[in-house]
Amino acid sequence: MANIAAKRIKREFKEVMKSEEVAGGAIKLELVDNNWTELQGAIAGPPDTPYEGGTFLLEIKVPETYPFNPPKIRFMTKIWHPNVSSVTGAICLDILKDQWAAALTLRTVLLSIQALLSAAEPNDPQDAVVAKQYRDNLCLFNLTARHWTNVYAGGPSVIADFNQKVQRLLDMGVEEHQARVALSTYDWELERATEQLFS
Amino acid sequence: MAGYFEEMGWRELDEGEQPDHLLHMARFLMDFGMYEDNFTGEWPRLPPPAAKEAVKNLNEIVIDNDTTNCPICLKAFNSGDKATKMPCNHVFHPACILTWLDKTNSCPFCRYELPTDNEGYEAFKKEKKRAVQRKEDIDTLHNSMFS
Repeated sequence: MANIAAKRIKREFKEVMKSEEVAGGAIKLELVDNNWTELQGAIAGPPDTPYEGGTFLLEIKVPETYPFNPPKIRFMTKIWHPNVSSVTGAICLDILKDQWAAALTLRTVLLSIQALLSAAEPNDPQDAVVAKQYRDNLCLFNLTARHWTNVYAGGPSVIADFNQKVQRLLDMGVEEHQARVALSTYDWELERATEQLFS
Repeated sequence: MAGYFEEMGWRELDEGEQPDHLLHMARFLMDFGMYEDNFTGEWPRLPPPAAKEAVKNLNEIVIDNDTTNCPICLKAFNSGDKATKMPCNHVFHPACILTWLDKTNSCPFCRYELPTDNEGYEAFKKEKKRAVQRKEDIDTLHNSMFS
């Protein structure tokens, strides 16, 4: 069984390497170990989204029963998105769960995850806090996502106001990521974030 | 206009037949929206395996050109290979597609659904089809009155 999985991953690896998406820099795939059970993917943040200009790394674990069961994929790069846990990087995407089909490949799955960045599904959230902000204050959500892309994924937009607020919390001795999460969660209201951190 | 029983997808009891109380309970709960998620949305899990009979009746073909791959193992077919063809015309290695259909009932390529041996799932599919039909009927009725 494991043999089928490894053989198929090898064929897929070749397919991905030849694909135009790799040539165009939209997706990347690398081997992590020599048994073809763990890979690292990367997707470029789609244009005209808050993720534009960022590169997001994904951990890909191939089960022994692949391709009859889906690969296990999570974001390693921290990302602010309704369908991705801002804590664990777990992804809520139907094809990685009950809508998996054996003819899907790592290439099509990576492209689907990239498409998810362009079109969030706030009604089927993985991260309730992010989804609530997406629904209630889309403008602030976009800024927050852009800020996270800048800080964690190498995106180009520096948001000075947010950086200053994070710095204020750093000065109080709060750990940087924790500070960013608290501010993002409380719509960048310094007072409420501080209150939550020190309560 | 179809009869009441036909419209609801029910039938009258036969002579001496007892009503199915579990079924009544299920309909009662459905009417009160208890199963809303299941009956308006999607089947909550991976759909069940394909029916044994349906799998047995799939067409066996012999590959005559070797330009295509099996979508499951991605290995190229060789001329003369035996292959299994789904009703949607997608072709797989027999071992590959049998393993898949033993898990769930649809074509891995286009999600064409084979029948299953799972009564609950078949009832769900029927209910979903009826819901679509009912909505169309209501739309038609509405349009004929107000357009």
